[in-house]
Amino acid sequence: MRSRVALLGALLLVAGCSPDAPPPGQPTAAPSSIETAAAAPTAAAQPPVPLVPVVDAGLGASAPAATAPAPVRLAVPAVGVDLPVDPVGVDEAGQMALPDTAERTGWYRFGSAPGSPAGATVIAGHVDSWTSGLGQFSRLRDVPPGAEVSVTTADGAAHRYQVVEVVRVDKREAPVGQWFDRTGSPRLVLVTCGGTFDRGTGHYRDNVIVTAVPVG
Amino acid sequence: MHARMFAGAAGALALVVLAAVPAQAAAGDAQLSVLHGVPGLTVDVWVNGERTLDDFTPRSLAGPLSLPAGTYSVAITAADAADASSPAIGPVDLTLAANGNYTAVAYLSASGTPTATLFTNDVTPLAAGQGRLTVRHVAAAPGVDILAGGSAVISNLTNPNEKVLTLPAGTVSASVVATGTMSPALLGPADVAITEGTSTIVYAWGSATANPATLALAVQTITGLHGDPAGVPAGQVGLAADSGTPSWLPLGALAALLVVGAAIARGTLGGPALARRRADRSMR
Repeated sequence: MRSRVALLGALLLVAGCSPDAPPPGQPTAAPSSIETAAAAPTAAAQPPVPLVPVVDAGLGASAPAATAPAPVRLAVPAVGVDLPVDPVGVDEAGQMALPDTAERTGWYRFGSAPGSPAGATVIAGHVDSWTSGLGQFSRLRDVPPGAEVSVTTADGAAHRYQVVEVVRVDKREAPVGQWFDRTGSPRLVLVTCGGTFDRGTGHYRDNVIVTAVPVG
Repeated sequence: MHARMFAGAAGALALVVLAAVPAQAAAGDAQLSVLHGVPGLTVDVWVNGERTLDDFTPRSLAGPLSLPAGTYSVAITAADAADASSPAIGPVDLTLAANGNYTAVAYLSASGTPTATLFTNDVTPLAAGQGRLTVRHVAAAPGVDILAGGSAVISNLTNPNEKVLTLPAGTVSASVVATGTMSPALLGPADVAITEGTSTIVYAWGSATANPATLALAVQTITGLHGDPAGVPAGQVGLAADSGTPSWLPLGALAALLVVGAAIARGTLGGPALARRRADRSMR
């Protein structure tokens, strides 16, 4: 209430610089603003109340934040990749949980989506699997910089990207904080495996990462 | 003329907003939120003698304010009191540590007396996929249990205490019952969203003894506490390996051949890439 009064006061002051007319909606001799007029001297005598955001904390009072539509399909035409995308989270070991087959990919649903105002959309897929053999993501290492990537989201929108970088890194030094970053310019990060295969652990030693930025 | 006036008014608006925003948040500032949990009482909140929240109504959550570390005197008065000299609650001294995250809550004690206390919010980072649920009892009510999925996940929570749980992201259907009982529900069941990387703080506030009872739930969330997955394991067999040694030999060999055979039969293998890798191997 008081901050509104202060605001009115400021508006009236500005209006004073243009004597020809009162500001719209705030006639200087407004019979409807008796309350305002009465309160004005008090407001002038006291320091303004800081503008602190106040929300209704009642359970369910605030609608959940709008989330960007999930990606449902990924295509990298230059290397013949065209795969469905499923929303995924983490497994019991805290690693990104991927579809078990190399014929599908997983989008990290806790991170950014193509329509998010910031951050990396992470889509990862198995390079190979016991059920489906060698997967299309085995060709990610051959993606040329500049190649086009298209991600279709659940609302039917096609988000176009251009590849800026293809790198292979040792998993022990993988910059996961960078891949899964939810801040910074919107971008697309595709992750799969590569390098030598460690039959002791049953895992590849490296990750192959394609980074692409939005086009247009 | 109209355009000029509009510009003038907009400028004044900007000035007012600038003047009203608290000093720029600085590194090391503490974050202070304020929750109003006293039913039926509209108040003003004073910090160090300055009116900081005007006409603050029950169930409202204000903030967070960025404040330099230090001790602040907080008083709560009737709405539009001339100053903080006759507070309804306080004054209480709140000590805020650098980088701390706090919620000052005005609430009813177990016996129904308006009071205020400072809760420290746990803002340590969460593991990927996890959310934090904190339940705070700030109601004029005896000890309670929180039921979820048919069993008590929190037992004998009393005013003004809290319990903190770390849970996988999802929705929890929770009820509040008197300690040691399964029914009747004093509150709920209510769906509480456990959002990944977010601290969800649920307050049971109001009065169980007022007639009618004013017991209710309020929620505060603190976002940005997410962790990253530990890694991305994205291969199982070794078919795409660089190494000249087929790493799946000997045990995996048969299975891998079966996989490859099946994949070829279904036409899902990339011909040139696989052929190239085969050629690589046979040459070594």
